[in-house]
Amino acid sequence: MSDLREPVYLEEKLSEIQESGRLSHRSSSLPTWCPGCGYFSITEGVVSALTRLEIPDNDVVIVSGIGCASRFPFFMNTYGFHTLHGRTLPVATGIKMANDDLSVLAIGGDGDGFAIGGNHIPHAARRNVNITYLLFDNGIYGLTKGQTSPTTVVGFKTKTTPFENRDQPLNPLLMLLSYGASWVGQAYAGHTHHLADMITAAMAHEGFSYLHILSPCVTFDKTSMTYKNLGMMVRDLPEDHDSTDLIAAMTQAQDTDTPGLGLFYKESRPTLSDNLDDIARTAGGLEPQTSQAAE
Amino acid sequence: MNGTDIEIAICGSAGDGTIATGDILNKAMARAGYRVITFDVYPAEIRGFGKCVARTRITTDTVYSMKEKTDVLVSLNDGYAIAHVGEVRDFGAVIYDDAPILNLQEGDHISGHVKAGQLPYGLPLREISERATGGAKSRNMVVLGYLAGLYGMPHDAFVETIAEKFRTKPRAVTEGNIAAFEFGHDEGVNAFKLDFIEFGKPASVNRNIVMMDGNSAVVRGCLDAGIDMVFGYPITPATSILESLAEELPRRGGRFLQTEDEIAAISATIGAAYTGARTATATSGPGFTLMTEMMGLGVMAEVPCVIFVSQRGGPSTGMPTKTEQSDLNLAVYGAAGDGQRIVLAPTNVEGCYRCAGRAFEMAERYQTPVVVLLDLYLSNRFETVNLPARNPFKQDLVKGFAKRAKNKPYQRFALTADNVSPRALPGQAGGVHTITGLEHNEGGRPRDDSDTHASMTVKRHEKLKPAVNHPGISITKRFGDFGKVDIGLITWGSTFGESLAAMLTAQEEGISCAAMKVVMMSPLPVDAIKAFTDDCRVLLVPELNYEGQFANILTSAVPREIHRINQVPGMPMRVEDILAEVRRLAKPKKKRKAA
Repeated sequence: MSDLREPVYLEEKLSEIQESGRLSHRSSSLPTWCPGCGYFSITEGVVSALTRLEIPDNDVVIVSGIGCASRFPFFMNTYGFHTLHGRTLPVATGIKMANDDLSVLAIGGDGDGFAIGGNHIPHAARRNVNITYLLFDNGIYGLTKGQTSPTTVVGFKTKTTPFENRDQPLNPLLMLLSYGASWVGQAYAGHTHHLADMITAAMAHEGFSYLHILSPCVTFDKTSMTYKNLGMMVRDLPEDHDSTDLIAAMTQAQDTDTPGLGLFYKESRPTLSDNLDDIARTAGGLEPQTSQAAE
Repeated sequence: MNGTDIEIAICGSAGDGTIATGDILNKAMARAGYRVITFDVYPAEIRGFGKCVARTRITTDTVYSMKEKTDVLVSLNDGYAIAHVGEVRDFGAVIYDDAPILNLQEGDHISGHVKAGQLPYGLPLREISERATGGAKSRNMVVLGYLAGLYGMPHDAFVETIAEKFRTKPRAVTEGNIAAFEFGHDEGVNAFKLDFIEFGKPASVNRNIVMMDGNSAVVRGCLDAGIDMVFGYPITPATSILESLAEELPRRGGRFLQTEDEIAAISATIGAAYTGARTATATSGPGFTLMTEMMGLGVMAEVPCVIFVSQRGGPSTGMPTKTEQSDLNLAVYGAAGDGQRIVLAPTNVEGCYRCAGRAFEMAERYQTPVVVLLDLYLSNRFETVNLPARNPFKQDLVKGFAKRAKNKPYQRFALTADNVSPRALPGQAGGVHTITGLEHNEGGRPRDDSDTHASMTVKRHEKLKPAVNHPGISITKRFGDFGKVDIGLITWGSTFGESLAAMLTAQEEGISCAAMKVVMMSPLPVDAIKAFTDDCRVLLVPELNYEGQFANILTSAVPREIHRINQVPGMPMRVEDILAEVRRLAKPKKKRKAA
């Protein structure tokens, strides 16, 4: 039995746990998120996915923008690039294009992705860049301490909407479906096992996979997207939902009152790198394809 | 100069085939062994509006700029060409269509504007074109043939060049153009020659001498430097760099992507560079403005990449098809914080090749973004250039890391003697790290304490200092008189050519004169510049911007009076303007010949 009077420092404890091998994929830096933040369970989900998919840490690059979510790479024992506000996807595209052997994980929040970075999402999706985009949606700007975001609900008071937010929130799932993302899913930080399964499936997909993760901000949102509210709102997608049916996926995505969890849509088509290789073969810069590579 | 030195200007409206005609003239003369330097002026619109002028200076010796006066003016559109008659020298020629045109107002025909002493050649271009091809569209080929016939230019070189130019078109197109050329040629051979313009024998044909424009030279430099990947967004006058690489890279197993905007272009460039690839993007002022934030991340996170910036008239959208040197401040200082980067500015087409290749070496060696600053005049002008027979560029300069002991983790930003840290590339075992735009410690973790910020700021600046001694490139070069001189021109970018031409004339007039070109704008090669300025009684900096951006930068290194010529005509500076200022500033010593 340990002596409870001795103070326990989390950072020491973490190093200790890490050395024991129980926290592989994690770095010795402690997350800077508030206690109770949904991002902790997302981190667990990523660790679980990397473990299950057996991807070595040095073959993973985690790319992020700016915001609470974007601090993610520092807490992982992989290669990481903490870039500029909104520029996660083009940087990730460049990395993947330069080295197809790397598993590239793009991470950002709702502001990073849909406000300042909104111009890049359609193009990563339509090109089918073979990366996974995890969007941490807490409906608020947390790192700058509580301003409105593109997914803040109407009527919510933030520091920059002190009376109330009147701007219609975006529907990210509907957008990604129409942009041509080849894998679109939604998960909730409160359902950790399902979340880990979804991250694993997203990372296993060949092509651009988009996972929208609803995650409460326990500090700046006490009334809207809370664990209590989200826990009551979310539902599983119907068992008979056909994830190859784009119209069915869009119909499901339109229901924002009770957000559906699971795989909305999935299609198989050549990735950006497949297409570029094909062009290089036509141009004579690459050897003709051998039969085993075709799948 | 005893050999050939003839400048021909072809003027027409967009759609007349003016630029295409100039292009064939340039290529044919280069093919025949002459040195060629050209500059075209064209409008932003593709067809139907606007004036095009294709200028070509054909010589047997190397020259550095266009001539002060044109020898031969060819008009494909009198409405535009009349304004250029005054640029033709005395006893120079004006060639035009002499067919009467309906609805012509008095004074609309160029023949009424040819000045006394200029020699007019009128011929029915439209009629000859119709005779040759059945249509009026080949007027430009007729006039090209006429030029070749009149001045005894090498006939076969033209025919070969025309065939080459239209090789992708149906055969009838090539045959029609050659027929029009031949009809014009007969006309020229049989014309009564009024002027004394003659082409001397060209130099022997050297296979390493090729004709290309600045943008093509950049592309050659990129390819020779082993570029892997390019990302870009179309913008005049940098677009042709992207277009050529989009075609060349897949042929070499490389990759090209046209991104959704300039921000994505530089972001993907930096992303690819992080993995160790040699990458670049190309843009102009407005696009570069968008790129500066990400370039700043490249400085902070020490990611090597190359950014080609071809300047045009500004600010804002400015003058897309006019030249200017007004983005120097942006290239040297743009982006937040103390963020020094390397900036190279070539002065001629051959320099574009060398700077492009060395830029990749420097980016990799010093782990920094490198900006190569061109301008429209340099991007678009053709010159005959002498490329090295052997690829001069070093291919792999990544400073690798040695695997450390388990208890000593890899540190991406380790402080070292030369301030350049060993680099682990994603995929390498034992090298995992995260890079960031936040201030960070040696391990790459975000830190904002004073000591860390101070030591890392010093590291990022000090590591660039050895770049002024980077092998294989002359980042400054002195021309003209040795030792102490009266007038010292300090020049950069495309204006160097005109400055050198002015200096040579001034020397002939007995003015003690020297010129220095500066190719590295940041970090500034202060020692070399000081050594030069110490030799000069008067300093003069000509540049195509209003603010005197380079003169201002020089002032911080050389605390003394610097005379300036600042012009924003949208065109290259005129040699005579520089010459006039040199004469004005020169010490009155002995009686000089009048200009």
